[in-house]
Amino acid sequence: MRNGKMPFLALLMIVFATVGAAAEDVTLQWWSWDVELKAQNEAIIQKFQAANPGVKVELSTMSTSEYWTKIRLLANQKKLPDVFEMSSGYIEEWAKEKLLLDLGPYIEKSFDKNDYYMSVFDAGKEIAGTGKYVAVPFALVTTVLFYNMDMFDKAGLAYPTDKWTWEDFRTAAKKLTVDTNKDGNTDQWGFWFYGRYAHVEPWVFANDGDLIDRTTMAYKPDAKAIEAMRFLTDLVLKDKSAPSKMAMSAYRQQDIFPQGVSAMWVDGSWNIDNNRTVADKKMRWGIAEIPAGPSGNRKYVNGWPDYFAISPFTKNADAAWKFAKFISGEGLDMKMYMAGKIPTYKSLTESPAFMDKGLMPANKDLLIKQAAKTFKTSYTLGWSEWRGYGAAENLGFNGVIDGIIDGAMSFDEGMKTADKNVNKILQRYYK
Amino acid sequence: MAKRGLRWYGPLAPWILLAPTLLGLIVFRIVPIGGSLYLSFTDWNLLRNPEFVGLENYKEAFADPAFLQVVENTLFFSLIYVVGVMVLGLALAVLVNRKMRGSNFFRACYYLPVVTSAVAVGIVWSWMLSPRYGAINLLLEALGIKPPYWLGDPAWALPTVAFIQVWKMAGYYMMIFLAGLQDIPLSVKEAAIVDGANPRQTFFRVTLPMLSPTTFFVFTVALIDSFKNFELIYAMTRGGPQNATNTLVYDVYLNAFVHYRMGYSSAVAYILMAIVGFATLLNFYVKKHWVRTQY
Amino acid sequence: MKRALRILCYGLLILSAFAMAFPFIWMLLNSFNSESNIFKSPPSLLPDLLGTSRMWENYATVLREFHFARYSLNSLVISGLSALGQVVTCSLAGFVFALMKFRGKNLIFSAILLTMMVPVQVTIIPEFFVMMKLGWLDSYLPLIVPSVLVGSFGTFMFKEFYENIPPSLADAGIIDGAGPFTMYAKIYLPQSASQAATLFIIAFMNSWNDLLRPMLYISGDKLQTVTMALTQFQSQYSAKWNLLLAGSVLGVLPLLLMYVFLQRYIIESTVSSGIKG
Repeated sequence: MRNGKMPFLALLMIVFATVGAAAEDVTLQWWSWDVELKAQNEAIIQKFQAANPGVKVELSTMSTSEYWTKIRLLANQKKLPDVFEMSSGYIEEWAKEKLLLDLGPYIEKSFDKNDYYMSVFDAGKEIAGTGKYVAVPFALVTTVLFYNMDMFDKAGLAYPTDKWTWEDFRTAAKKLTVDTNKDGNTDQWGFWFYGRYAHVEPWVFANDGDLIDRTTMAYKPDAKAIEAMRFLTDLVLKDKSAPSKMAMSAYRQQDIFPQGVSAMWVDGSWNIDNNRTVADKKMRWGIAEIPAGPSGNRKYVNGWPDYFAISPFTKNADAAWKFAKFISGEGLDMKMYMAGKIPTYKSLTESPAFMDKGLMPANKDLLIKQAAKTFKTSYTLGWSEWRGYGAAENLGFNGVIDGIIDGAMSFDEGMKTADKNVNKILQRYYK
Repeated sequence: MAKRGLRWYGPLAPWILLAPTLLGLIVFRIVPIGGSLYLSFTDWNLLRNPEFVGLENYKEAFADPAFLQVVENTLFFSLIYVVGVMVLGLALAVLVNRKMRGSNFFRACYYLPVVTSAVAVGIVWSWMLSPRYGAINLLLEALGIKPPYWLGDPAWALPTVAFIQVWKMAGYYMMIFLAGLQDIPLSVKEAAIVDGANPRQTFFRVTLPMLSPTTFFVFTVALIDSFKNFELIYAMTRGGPQNATNTLVYDVYLNAFVHYRMGYSSAVAYILMAIVGFATLLNFYVKKHWVRTQY
Repeated sequence: MKRALRILCYGLLILSAFAMAFPFIWMLLNSFNSESNIFKSPPSLLPDLLGTSRMWENYATVLREFHFARYSLNSLVISGLSALGQVVTCSLAGFVFALMKFRGKNLIFSAILLTMMVPVQVTIIPEFFVMMKLGWLDSYLPLIVPSVLVGSFGTFMFKEFYENIPPSLADAGIIDGAGPFTMYAKIYLPQSASQAATLFIIAFMNSWNDLLRPMLYISGDKLQTVTMALTQFQSQYSAKWNLLLAGSVLGVLPLLLMYVFLQRYIIESTVSSGIKG
């Protein structure tokens, strides 16, 4: 080997190696609050990395309360993760603060609209309120009526149908409230709820009512909404077919129905996953539409998307977009979705795998029917504060409803308190 | 102290040795306290820069019935706590002070809750107090008493949590009272008995007054500690039901890290500090009226 | 008469001890219950898994799903370092305040005492931003450094104690030609072993049981503390009391053991530290 050539070749190799490495050197940060999906998410990452050599993805998972605090602090430092989960409850605030990358150009150029349910994208655009697509909705969730088939059978009742009215529901709830061991205490409740958004809003919208006046952005429940709330609270106070909130304080709220303490329950469709875990094979259950109220036209459903957003400060926008597209449908199979969430990627939802044959509920296609309706939500700026969400669940509007069914205040007092408190908060956000 | 002080340490020595403390004092106390004051005059949601709003936060707080409820809760909680731990702490100290077998075992028992984390305490008590399956309710129902919803009923929640905090911390104050009791010379008590005093008179006319410096110390510490109930509330009720167990320390957390209102939360924190400071200063001022120094 | 009083006292003592210890005993017992047994009404007095082959099932689940060994280690390291650091800083500061004269001494000491009154909630938000600027987020540092550098109670305790030591000790040291650090480290510090132990335990305990700081400063699993893990536990398992209680027992155990071994130091030193104002 001649002395001259070796060093030069070595140098060339080093240069190529460095350039090559620099071209490969993309690491994306992905933040998610789906603690239950951690293993599946890691599997998705493996799939993506295999198909995209040179891109690495690092996942951080944490519970929602930690998630929002930490990610907000990152936003403050202008250091957001490249791809991060976003909820409908906060998207308006984040969009208005310009903390979500405008995805319009990507959707126009490197996106096939036929692959997705664009109606969900448009619903997301509307909730965000800035006229732009600022996040990729990867799933739609709706609210459904869960019912315990075994209890219905025992009481000799027909299962809920999509023709059910509130009267049908009320009668069934009364018949399903039983003192099974005759000790003077109700052991099986026909229904149960508290002030939670996913417990109250579905009924309001099933009566074609609204809590928020969208022109003035004030809390102004119309007569139909009040009718819905009165209907619900009467179940506890008059019919005694639903318990007070106090009585259920020993349980985690999402375990009450699958543990067989109540015969019916209204909450988000994503609870299908937890129901399967907790109830296992011990009970047969199904899902149905929320019964329509006296003024209801069965047009609306309380549903909203969950999204993946991209940081506006990201240094790898193209790679981040590619990954966001991948994890919102392209790269997934139904095993990687939380049961009860509806993928926005058509081929997933329309595949036979969606039906989860052999598992409950048997009529999961109800969710697809719901997805075709018009979505309504109560989301606004400052929603978690006035509504009472998450760690603030005992307060806000949530707390008022709880106070009514716990007997701490009358219905009218509650409505007055809600009006005062909620509007005080909303006025701060919508000056 | 030796007047020749300067000979064994140079003028810089105190400052060098005090450096870590000074550093901590400035960086982790004085600067944050000042920073908090500044923040309390701003509106800041973390997603953008702080906006100066003057006294708006304070005005909002005092005009808000929910905030006033929180202040009321805080004061009520402190009352239960201070009275509770002082009475219970003293009672336990008196009981344990006798020369008898197993007193160390009893002391350990009473100190057990003190060293346990508030979260674990909250978990166990939440369970024992839960309607239907909790040990306490089952016992009461067996006796024919219908128990209230300890943690779910707004009327009962705060006293219940306060009681659990007292239960948890009484042992700590017992230790302090015990030390104070043991400092009282036996001769004084014996003299009283020779003079014909019965145990009750001895206790109230001799022991208690001589204990007053200790009592003062306990009262001061208990007062400051009475505001420190964040962990227990977080573990048990999260401020609910409907604000019933929301105290100032919890409200600061709620406004800062749940509602993301950093400015307003700092104002609440300052109001809290003002209350604690005022109570402590009042206590020191009143000290000379009831504390007898020994001999 | 005296006998009756004794019996009464013993009775009250036992009752109080029972009241204090019962929740823990109940917690321990029920951690050996299976899930279905926990919700039986009326409840069985004896847990059903105790003594059977499935006895440690709950603990196994908890240890497997929640990395309690790792969390305990984290808590141990954090609390140990915090407590150790605080003992050093406070004894040093107490020594300086007790034995040295310098300008501004009273002012600084008053500042230290006054800030003892300030609840952590007042300072936590700016403190957070200091940590952020220093780049210390997601490490042990924010959990250790503040407690090491700021110990009002400890400084106060050591100052009182050192002040009450007869000056002959200092004089002997001066005659031997001791400089300030030697005076502290070799002469005064060894005298205060009991106070050091007491402060260590208190600081360790406070750090172990702290919730606010780990909640704000730690993300992810690796650096999680036991107390933090217990709260996450609550949200994950709140219906599964048997698992929750098993986890709580694990969370309480290390501190309990430490207390049992070190308890006589607390008693000794609380007795001898000058509490009289």
